[in-house]
Amino acid sequence: MKIREEKLNDAVICILEGEININNSPDLRKAFDGLIKRNEKKLVVDFSGVSYIDSSGLATLIEMFQRLKKIGGALRFSNMEQKVKNIFEVTKLHKLFEIFDNREAALKDF
Amino acid sequence: MIFIDKLASSLEGVPVFVSAFIKKIECLPLEEEEVFNIRLSLEEALINAIKHGNKLNPDIFVQVSAQKEGGSLVIKVTDLGRGFDFNNIADPTRPENLTKLNGRGIFLIKKLMDKVEFLDCGRTIKMVKFLKKEAESENQRRKT
Repeated sequence: MKIREEKLNDAVICILEGEININNSPDLRKAFDGLIKRNEKKLVVDFSGVSYIDSSGLATLIEMFQRLKKIGGALRFSNMEQKVKNIFEVTKLHKLFEIFDNREAALKDF
Repeated sequence: MIFIDKLASSLEGVPVFVSAFIKKIECLPLEEEEVFNIRLSLEEALINAIKHGNKLNPDIFVQVSAQKEGGSLVIKVTDLGRGFDFNNIADPTRPENLTKLNGRGIFLIKKLMDKVEFLDCGRTIKMVKFLKKEAESENQRRKT
């Protein structure tokens, strides 16, 4: 999985590419650690390049959601393909996370 | 038998093992979404077997088999652990469980596969996916 970051005003867009699985979820957690250390509070995760996510990936996202919430930050998701979105819907995590069709809509929601 | 193999109880090997499995079932009439669901279910079953069954002991293995039974693909994953109480699994979609980091594996498998059974006190999980495309073509053939 590739993780790329873009800064836009006071928000960070984290662009993910590839699969989020048991082997690379720790890399995603590390990237999130870096954002917390830099005191970034507004994060959009762009899923446009994500083709697969398992329960370890979901756990990493929930963890980040909680960490951001604790420091008064917010997490938004965008550009999910349907089969990935389905995993959030099946697990009802779409009720916990804010999922938007595109980055612009996600950024506008902060 | 379409597939029979074993995996050492180390999580690093799971994605590669699952990819090899998916290659073996490419010959079956499955939609892309069904393959995605089988892949995720197998991965979750292996992670549970390695972590909770075999307690991450790399010296012991998880056994995986798959076969076509009638109009279904039947996958079995077996560990060497003590089993577990599969009748008492918390629902991760309940509001109080939604932010918990663990406990979604079996729930996902049950949602993404057509039938799930636990055998041998929970040491084996049997996951079934109906081959709908094959059934549809059979129905079509009968009609004509």
